[in-house]
Amino acid sequence: MANKLDKHVLKNGMVILGEPMPGVGSAAFDFLVPCGSAMLPEGRCGAAAVIQDWIFRGAGERNSRQLIDALDGLGLHRSTSVSTYHLGLGAALEASNLSAALELYADVIRRPRLEVDQFELSRQLAVHEVIGLDDDPRQKVMVRLYEQFYPEPFGRPGIGKLDDLEALRPLDAATIVERTFDPAGTIFSVAGKYDFDAVCRQMERLFEGTGGKGRPEITPGSAGQRYLHVPHAGAQVHIGLVTKAPPITSQRYYDINVAVSVLSGGMSSRLFTEVREKRGLCYAVGARYSTLKHMAGISCYAGTTPEKAQETIDVIRDEFNRLWEGITQDELERAKVGLESSLIMQSESSSARASGIASDYFLLGRVRSLDEIKEKLEVTSVKSVTECLAENRFKDYTLVTIGPRKIEWE
Amino acid sequence: MHPHREGIMEFRKTTLSNGMAIVGEINPAAQSAAVGFFVRTGSRDETPQINGVSHFLEHMLFKGNDRLSALEVNEAFDRTGAKFNAFTSEENTVYYAAVLPRFLAEVTELWTELLRPALRQSDFDMEKNVILEEIAMYKDTPHFDVMDKCRALHFGDHPCGASVLGTNESIIGLTSEAMRGYFDLRYSPNNIVAACCGNLDFEATCELIERQCGDWKATEAARPLSYFGGTFQKHREERANLVREHICMMSAGMGMQDQRRFAMSLLATIVGDDTGSLYFWELVDPAIAETAVMQAEAMDGVGAMYSYIRCSPKDAPRAGEIVRHIFEDLASTGITQAELETARNKVLSALTIKSEQPMGRLVNLGFNWVYSREYRSVADDIASIRAITVDDVNSLIGEFDLRSFTSYSIAPEDAAAAT
Repeated sequence: MANKLDKHVLKNGMVILGEPMPGVGSAAFDFLVPCGSAMLPEGRCGAAAVIQDWIFRGAGERNSRQLIDALDGLGLHRSTSVSTYHLGLGAALEASNLSAALELYADVIRRPRLEVDQFELSRQLAVHEVIGLDDDPRQKVMVRLYEQFYPEPFGRPGIGKLDDLEALRPLDAATIVERTFDPAGTIFSVAGKYDFDAVCRQMERLFEGTGGKGRPEITPGSAGQRYLHVPHAGAQVHIGLVTKAPPITSQRYYDINVAVSVLSGGMSSRLFTEVREKRGLCYAVGARYSTLKHMAGISCYAGTTPEKAQETIDVIRDEFNRLWEGITQDELERAKVGLESSLIMQSESSSARASGIASDYFLLGRVRSLDEIKEKLEVTSVKSVTECLAENRFKDYTLVTIGPRKIEWE
Repeated sequence: MHPHREGIMEFRKTTLSNGMAIVGEINPAAQSAAVGFFVRTGSRDETPQINGVSHFLEHMLFKGNDRLSALEVNEAFDRTGAKFNAFTSEENTVYYAAVLPRFLAEVTELWTELLRPALRQSDFDMEKNVILEEIAMYKDTPHFDVMDKCRALHFGDHPCGASVLGTNESIIGLTSEAMRGYFDLRYSPNNIVAACCGNLDFEATCELIERQCGDWKATEAARPLSYFGGTFQKHREERANLVREHICMMSAGMGMQDQRRFAMSLLATIVGDDTGSLYFWELVDPAIAETAVMQAEAMDGVGAMYSYIRCSPKDAPRAGEIVRHIFEDLASTGITQAELETARNKVLSALTIKSEQPMGRLVNLGFNWVYSREYRSVADDIASIRAITVDDVNSLIGEFDLRSFTSYSIAPEDAAAAT
C-alpha cells in the first residue's frame, strides 16, 4: 500500500499537500484555516461557527445565491467544521470539477463579502444550534466533557457558547476573519485524482500575495470541574468520561492506540464485553482516543437508564483502571489487525486521505506514509504497550453526566 | 462523470438449490472486500405481539451458534480486523463486513455459522436489557423519535407503520420461543441474498457458502405486498424536556421496483437537500429553521417522501406555512431545468464517491437483487439518472401529491413561552 506524497509551499507560506490515488474518479480537498475555537479572542466562543456560514453567503463577484448555485452545480459535497485549531473547509467532488471548485473556494477564503444583514442570519443559526444541543444529550455530554477536561482555550466548544454568540457583532467576526484567514498559517490538501503541478500553479495564482505572521502560540489556562452533572428529564443518563493520554507527538503514540483498541476497538474489546455483553447495562458504550498537538485524551461515552448508571460508571472506571495491569498477546493481535484494516480502508477514500494528510502535517510537521504507520504498529508488543500504560497510568478522570440522576463520584 | 474502474468490474451470480441467491461484483483493483447477507425480513413482517423481534433477533445472531459463544464470536470477528455490523429496517435485516481480502473467507464462514444461531435463553434474557436501553436511547433522540412516530401515523394499519425497535411492552413480553418460531419462518435460504464486492474470488466464495448453507431447508417466507399512500393525519405532542420543535412530514412515494425512484430521489434533492434546495433557501438561509431536509425512501412495493424540520416552537407555524407554499408552487409550476441539473450533479457525484469503496457498493448490489433480482452497475445508475427529464419529475409531482401529507411534531411544553 505504498502511497506517494506531493508537497509544495507557496511563496506566502501556504502549504500544499497531495496524495494521488490510482483508479478513483473523485477528488477531495481540505483547507485548514487557523480559525479554530482555541484561536479566537476571549469572549468570542462560537465566532468560527458563525464565520463558517457567513463566508458562504456571498464571495467575490457572486452573491449568496449565485455562490451556492455555483458550488452545487459542481456536484460538490461540502464539509465544514470547527475544531480546536482550525476552521476546516473541505469538499469531495468529481475530479474534473476540481479546478472550478478551487476558484470558488479562493473567493470564499480571500474575498468573502461579509455583509452585515447576512451576518445576523448566520449568527441566529449558530444560536439555534447551541440551544438545540439540549435536545441531543448524547452530543451535548461530549461537548461539556471536553470543555471541562482541556485547559482553556483548548476545550472550547466549536459550536460556541450562548452568551458569546448573543454578544457577537459583525465587526468582531469580520476582524477575526481578517486576522486568522492567513495563507501563512493555512494548510491545503488534496487526495484522489488530480494533477499536482496544475493544482500548485492554480493555487499560486489564487492565493498570491503576502502571508501574515502564521499561527500565534497559545498558552494553556486552567481546566474545569472534575464532575459536572446537568439535570435533564430524559430516559437515560448520558455519561462522558475522559482521562489524559500521550499525544501524537509522543514516542508512545502507537502503544496507546493499541491500548485504546484493547479497551474499546471491536466487539471483543473489554468495555463492550464487560459493560454490554456480560451485564447488559448499555446499548451504546465506547472509548476513543483523540489528540491535540501536545495533549490527548481517552474519552468514553455510555448511555444507560438511571437505575443502572452507577454500576455502569463503576464498571467503566474499573476497566480503565485495570488496563495498566497489562494486555494479552491475543488482545494485541486483534488490536493490530483492526487498526491495520482501518488504515487500508481509509486509503480507499479520498476524503479520509485529504483530511489525514493535512492533520498529520499540522500535528507532526510532516505526513506519515501508510507504510510507516503500519510498521510502527507492527513493532508494538505486549511489553511496549504494558510499559506505556505503566508510565501513563490513568489517575485523574473528568466526568460529565446528563440525565435525571446524579451518580456517586469520589 | 466517469464510472471509475468500470470495465474491470465483473458481475457474477448463482443460486443454490435451496433458493439462496449469491451475487458478486468483483474488482481486482480494490484494496478491500465486503460481504453481506440480506435477509428479507423486518418489522413489517411481524405481528403486533412480537413487534421488535426482527431487530432483537439481529442482536441475538451475534450471540453465537452451538459451537461458538458470544465472546468467541466477537473475538473471531476482531481477529480478522473486520468492520462488521448489522442493521434492521422495516423490511430488511442485513449482516455485513468489510475486510482485507485475505480475511474474506473467514468472515463469510463466520456469518454463515451465525445465520443458524443457538438463541440461548440466558443470552436472550441478557440481551433484552440491551434492547430496552436502545429503546431508551432513541427516546432521548427526538429527531429519530419523531420520524418513527410519524411513520406509524402515516402508515396506520399498513405493515410499514410497525416500529423497528418495538416498544418496552412488546420487548418485555417477547419469549425466546416466539423468536425461534419467527426465525424458522423468515431465515429461509430462499429469503436470503448473499452479496460480495471488491477484491475476491467469486467461485471460492460460492463454494464456501454452498458448503455451509447448502443443506438449509427452504420455507414459505412470504410477504404480502400492498400499496398505501398514507393516512395524512396530523398530530402534535408536547414534552417537558425539549427546547426545539421537531417536525416530520410524510407523503406518498413509489416502491424499489419502480424505476421512477431515481426521479423521486432527484425531486427530494431539489426540495430538501441540505444546501441549495428549496427548503434551504426558504427555511435555513433565512434562519427560520436550523435543519430542513427531505429524503425519498423506496421500499418493497411502497414508498414515502420524508421531511424533517427542526426550529424554535415560535417559528414552527411559519415553517409549516412555508413548506405548504413550496408544495403548492411545485404542484402548479413544477421544477425548472436548472434545478434538475443541479440536483443531478449532486446525486451523480455522491454516487461516484460512495462507489469507490467495496462497502459502498455492497448495499446497492444486495438491495437490487433482493427487490428486483437485477444487477445494476454504477454506470447503469448513472445512465438512469442522466436520462431523467423535467417532465419526468413534474409528472411525479402530479401523481404523488406532496400537498397531501401526514405530519407529526414533538415540541416543548408551554411552547408559547419558549423562544
